[in-house]
Amino acid sequence: MDLASKLEKLSLELVQKQDYLYSVTIDFERLESLLLSFLNEFGYITLDSINCRDDLEDGFFTITYCLQTEERDHVVMIQTKIQRENASLPTMHTIWPQAEIMEREMHEMFGVDFPGHPTLIDFALEYWDNMPPLRRDFDTLEYVNSMNPFREQRNDALDAKEEMKKKREAKKAAKLKAQQEAEAKAALEAQNNPSDEVKNEE
Amino acid sequence: MESGFYGSSLDGNLKCKFEESGLANTHEIMEKAVRWFRSRSIFVVAYGTGCGAIEMPPTFTSRYDAERMGVVGVATPRQADLIILSGYLAYKTLRRVIRTYEQMQKPRYIMTLGSCPINGGMYWDSYNTIKKLDDYLPIDVSVTGCMPRPEAVIDGFVLLQERIRNGEKAGWEKYDENFEFYKENQKRVLGGHIDPSYETDWYNLKSGGKA
Repeated sequence: MDLASKLEKLSLELVQKQDYLYSVTIDFERLESLLLSFLNEFGYITLDSINCRDDLEDGFFTITYCLQTEERDHVVMIQTKIQRENASLPTMHTIWPQAEIMEREMHEMFGVDFPGHPTLIDFALEYWDNMPPLRRDFDTLEYVNSMNPFREQRNDALDAKEEMKKKREAKKAAKLKAQQEAEAKAALEAQNNPSDEVKNEE
Repeated sequence: MESGFYGSSLDGNLKCKFEESGLANTHEIMEKAVRWFRSRSIFVVAYGTGCGAIEMPPTFTSRYDAERMGVVGVATPRQADLIILSGYLAYKTLRRVIRTYEQMQKPRYIMTLGSCPINGGMYWDSYNTIKKLDDYLPIDVSVTGCMPRPEAVIDGFVLLQERIRNGEKAGWEKYDENFEFYKENQKRVLGGHIDPSYETDWYNLKSGGKA
C-alpha cells in the first residue's frame, strides 16, 4: 500500500487489522503533527470518530482517531496513549469541525480535558457533579444503589422451583387417581354384566 | 376538593342549589354522568421516552383505532387529560416530564408502558435512569410488557376508563395530597436543579396561591 511506504519514511508501521481496517500506533508528542500530515499530505479528509478506552490497570487512556479518504474504501486508526491522571488532548475542532462534539462527549464521559475547546459543557448528562461515568474506577452499581433503591419485593412471592414440584406431584396424583378409578369402574362393570363375557365367548 | 368543577365532586354552590330545590340526589346523578362522559373522551399527549413510542402509532391509527373508545392524541400537554410515558426515564427526561405533567389541566392521568418505569427494566443499573417512577410522579395505570402490544395498551385504556367511571381516587389527587413527598424525591435525584413548580392556583392568588 502507498500509505505504508509514506509512513515508513516517518519510521511508523502500518498494521492491517481487517480488509479495510489499518492501524498506526504513535507517541502522544507526535500525534498532532501526524494528524495534520494525514489530512494535508495523505488526503484523509474525514474524521469518523474519536474513541477512548480506559486501561485502568496500566494507568492510561488509549485514544483512537478513525480517518477516511474521499474514496471511503478503508479506515485508518491512529492510536495513542495518554496518562489517566489529568488527561489532556489537543483539540481538533479547528481542522475537523465534527471533532467538537466528539471531544465534548469524551470530556463528559472520561474527563479528558481539551484546552482551547469552545464548548466543554454538558452533553448528554445534566448537572453531573460526580466522577465521569465511563471511567472504570467509577462504581456504577454503588452509585445506582445509592440513588435508586430497589422496589420492595412482594410478600406473596413464591419459590418457582417448589411450586413447579408441587404442580407436577399434583398432576401425577391426579393421573394415578383417574387410572385407579377407571380400573375400579371396569372391574365393577365386569362384575355387574358377566353376560358380556359370556356373549363374547359364544 | 371544595371548589372547581373538575374535582371528584361537583361545584359546592351547584350542590346547594340542588338541595334547596329538593333534588338531593341530582348532584350524584350529575356526577355519574360527568364521570361517564369524561371516561369516553380522553385526550392523550404521547411522551415517547423510550422504545414504547413505536407502539403508539398503530394504537392510534386505523389498525387498532383507539379513537373508537374516545381516546385521541393531542399536540400539547395543556390540552391533554392523559400522558403516556412509554419506556425508561433518564434524569434528564424526568425533569422535562415533571414539567409537562404539571402543565396539564386537572383531572390528569399518567399511563406508563413497559417494565422500565416500574423497576428499571433492563436499565436497572444505569447511572442515568430512574428505577421507580412512582416515587416521583403518581401513576394511574402501568401496562407491563417489553414492549406491550397495542392490544395491551388498549386494555390499559379500558382499565383507566373503568376507574374514572367508578370515581376511584386518581393519581393527580394523590399528587396534591402528598406533594411534599413527591417534590422531596424529585429533588433527591435531580439535585435541586428543578424547574419552579406549576402548582399555583392563579385564580386564588390571595389565599396563598396553593392549588
